[in-house]
Amino acid sequence: MSGHDSKYFSTTKKGEIPELKEELNSQYKDKRKDAVKKVIAAMTVGKDVSSLFTDVVNCMQTENLELKKLVYLYLINYAKSQPDLAILAVNTFVKDSQDPNPLIRALAVRTMGCIRVDKITEYLCDPLQRCLKDDDPYVRKTAAICVAKLYDINAELVEDRGFLESLKDLISDNNPMVVANAVAALAEIQDNSNTPIFEITSHTLSKLLTALNECTEWGQVFILDALSRYKAADAREAENIVERVTPRLQHANCAVVLSAVKMILQQMELITSTDVVRNLCKKMAPPLVTLLSAEPEIQYVALRNINLIVQRRPTILAHEIKVFFCKYNDPIYVKMEKLEIMIKLASDRNIDQVLLEFKEYATEVDVDFVRKAVRAIGRCAIKLERAAERCISVLLELIKIKVNYVVQEAIIVIKDIFRRYPNTYESIIATLCESLDTLDEPEAKASMIWIIGEYAERIDNADELLESFLESFPEEPAQVQLQLLTATVKLFLKKPTEGPQQMIQVVLNNATVETDNPDLRDRAYIYWRLLSTDPEAAKDVVLAEKPVITDDSNQLDPSLLDELLANIATLSSVYHKPPEAFVTRVKTTAQKTEDDDYPEGGSETGYSESSAHAADGGVSPTSSSNVPYSAARQPAPAPPSPAAPVPDLLGDLIGLDNNAIVPVDQPATPSGPPLPVVLPASTGQGLQISAQLTQQDGQIYYSLSFENNSQVPLDGFMIQFNKNTFGLAAAGPLQVPQVQPGTSARTLLPMVMFQNLSQGPPSSLLQVAVKNSQQPVWYFNDKAPLHVFFTEDGRMERGNFLETWRSLPDSNEVSKDFPDIVVNSVEATLDRLAASNMFFIAKRKHANQDVFYFSAKLPRGIPFLIELTTVIGTLGVKCAIKTPSPELAPLFFESLENLLKV
Amino acid sequence: MGIVFTKMFSTLFGNREARILVLGLDNAGKTTILYRLQMGEVVSTIPTIGFNVETVQYNNIKFQVWDLGGQTSIRPYWRCYFPNTQAIIYVVDSSDTDRLVIAKDEFHAILEEEELRGAVVLIFANKQDLPGALDDAAVTEALELHKIKNRQWAIFKTSAIKGEGLFEGLDWLSNTLKSGGG
Repeated sequence: MSGHDSKYFSTTKKGEIPELKEELNSQYKDKRKDAVKKVIAAMTVGKDVSSLFTDVVNCMQTENLELKKLVYLYLINYAKSQPDLAILAVNTFVKDSQDPNPLIRALAVRTMGCIRVDKITEYLCDPLQRCLKDDDPYVRKTAAICVAKLYDINAELVEDRGFLESLKDLISDNNPMVVANAVAALAEIQDNSNTPIFEITSHTLSKLLTALNECTEWGQVFILDALSRYKAADAREAENIVERVTPRLQHANCAVVLSAVKMILQQMELITSTDVVRNLCKKMAPPLVTLLSAEPEIQYVALRNINLIVQRRPTILAHEIKVFFCKYNDPIYVKMEKLEIMIKLASDRNIDQVLLEFKEYATEVDVDFVRKAVRAIGRCAIKLERAAERCISVLLELIKIKVNYVVQEAIIVIKDIFRRYPNTYESIIATLCESLDTLDEPEAKASMIWIIGEYAERIDNADELLESFLESFPEEPAQVQLQLLTATVKLFLKKPTEGPQQMIQVVLNNATVETDNPDLRDRAYIYWRLLSTDPEAAKDVVLAEKPVITDDSNQLDPSLLDELLANIATLSSVYHKPPEAFVTRVKTTAQKTEDDDYPEGGSETGYSESSAHAADGGVSPTSSSNVPYSAARQPAPAPPSPAAPVPDLLGDLIGLDNNAIVPVDQPATPSGPPLPVVLPASTGQGLQISAQLTQQDGQIYYSLSFENNSQVPLDGFMIQFNKNTFGLAAAGPLQVPQVQPGTSARTLLPMVMFQNLSQGPPSSLLQVAVKNSQQPVWYFNDKAPLHVFFTEDGRMERGNFLETWRSLPDSNEVSKDFPDIVVNSVEATLDRLAASNMFFIAKRKHANQDVFYFSAKLPRGIPFLIELTTVIGTLGVKCAIKTPSPELAPLFFESLENLLKV
Repeated sequence: MGIVFTKMFSTLFGNREARILVLGLDNAGKTTILYRLQMGEVVSTIPTIGFNVETVQYNNIKFQVWDLGGQTSIRPYWRCYFPNTQAIIYVVDSSDTDRLVIAKDEFHAILEEEELRGAVVLIFANKQDLPGALDDAAVTEALELHKIKNRQWAIFKTSAIKGEGLFEGLDWLSNTLKSGGG
């Protein structure tokens, strides 16, 4: 390479940014405008043109509106990345906010609101103040929104400068658009504030109602939403408001319609006159029906809202059930919602029509829809006593078509019907039993078993039927097992003969000894104890009369319903969830829950799952299947004292009790080789901590063991690492359960590197602080051996190794002698080094010595090239390494010595 | 050096605007001067956070006048405007004797700038209408103008409010630029 070649590095081409810079500073206006357009184009496609900030800002003072808008656009995008330079634009903003052209005034104040830079914000206030009082309504309405933006950036500033008062004044503005925007801004600010800011008074009320008729559709939505939060003083006022708002129901925009409906529903709560209410209900029906002729997506939103409305005011749509009949081409999500509303609207008057529809749906192809239709028939039967018989006959017809999932769904609902109307329709049990073999879903199976158990005395071969299920008891899902257990007990109590007695022993044995489901086990023990103590009491408990059920599925809790109705026409009413359930305005750190402390508690998890399931069942009609269980949980006869004469059975029971229950609750502790003690019990007031850094599958862990030799349980463990050479820090919180006296707990704490790096010479010292809720903070020192950090991709090819070796200057080579170390087995040594991600590359003979080459790599790609020279079986090893970071050599030798010594 | 600039300005002043920076401490009267020159009237001003730019036509020369904010927080950004500048108008509040030292320091710091090596300097000893205002000789002394080397400069007593001295200064500036001074 000769000296002339340097010319290739200098180029006459300037590149895009300097070229643009030159054009931006051109003396010709057109050229400047074109240049700004080019800059915006580059910005739009994602190129970073922030370095042109001052040049672009210098083009800001122009008569040309187009150019001005482009510069504003640029500012909105880059002001955040150049917060200091952004101040240069302030004067132009201030000037523009006084421009004779209202468009420019509005543009200036809007853009300033979009620039979220603290230094600029304070200068925004004066122009904003002026624009809020501007002669031009367009400027005022823009300024109103800007206040809300400013509130988000700096709420205090808005309050101090009296912008809230200015905004409230704008509610009385003579321009409806300004009123609407002021309302929107105030509502937005109110949402972000805890103190009451926006309260409608009787004065503002009339202003809002006047503006409502004149402003744009979206403005109407804002005003209606605000009005729906207004609490009218009395029924008269509420009537007046509603009367003014009713014409909005005819609006073409469905958002306006829904907001008007929400507003009217809220005020209706106050209206006492039934005539007025009836009239209003009549008026609300047609607009809601009209919403259902829109696109499916809008239909869905309308249906979700209607679902809420009919729960509060079923009369509104009582006569409109036909519009909820499913069309063949409705999307499935619309169909499902329609079904739900049909059930809610079904009445004695229209049930025949509805049943015909449901029956039709039950023969369609979509399985989920069919199931829902069958279930709908059952829910109608439970809801409408006089129609129950007709519903059941439809169900029986459906069972006869022998479609598997129809039959199963029918059995599930028939079980509920039996619960609702005891001793009325048992004649159909025979038909149900015909389908026994086809049942394969847990819920259907459980329902059938419940029916058999409940009506065991009427089914001649009940014991045979149950026995057929018992064979597969261990494999059944928990739901089925629980029902089998209860049904068998019922059978035994109703027919205390030999067959059922044998069955019950099998079941109780299975459900206590063989299972690890605590729900099943506990229920079995209770039955066992009941049966063995007082069979009569058992009868009273297990065969007790059950309370009547009603169809309350998919019925919302009244307080939740209130909240959702207040949020009609928002996402909340579509999700059927309160807004705070899915919108978080303030980030809160998640509270550490009890569960986090017991990650390995398998039995705990199993328990909470099944209890959660029981809770679910409690609110649905399927709760009937759980009632024997809850009955069993009712105050049972007091457990017998050990001294009382009890049958042998009970002795077994107690024996089992002690053995089976205790061990399960003890969390399993992960085991492993003992760790080096870093904090002896003598120093730690009885707490002994052992710890070691390890690497597993490329992840670095701090393996810790806590042994509690003190007298008190220790919990609330936390850990902190001092700054260190490798920047090691905990990747998450330390998860250690409460450590009881005399026990120990082990955990693996994932670690991250380069988090809290220390300055100064490299050191393997790792300073750790551990605290718990009961003791002072403990400090101890540990070592961070270098080999823990070697990565799994440190293996080098021979050629690569040689090249790297040559490329590093000799000053990067460090060597050390280890006179006390002997290598006896080459293979074992290579294995041991490979386990620490030091990879063998080559070996050669040099005189009588063996020379080995290894490679290793630290995170962030720092290679270590290693040369070991030794005579096998003789004392003395020489090690030479080459690395771009020779300052780490002492740490490496320390680590290597430990590895070779073992 | 003179020859180089003669050539440069003869080409520059064919049809092009002269780029002029108006600098000085805050409240020296820069914005008032700018609009007095541009519109011929006194406008009410607020502290300039950023800049103003206007075109002023005088003696057949178009001046593109950049009035930069003088507040401490904005002074560091003056340098963004230095390239391609032909002249600097440095405005001093002659009545603000307390801050003349700061004005002097800022002034000499500007003269050190490499990018302004060729710029001529016009100093306005402004606010002569106020009682207690120093005259041009005193301001010359305070700003240590005699230390200026290799550069054409002039100082004028001005009152932006009354409109005195401004156009005399501009006359000097246009003549100097036309004759290719620097």
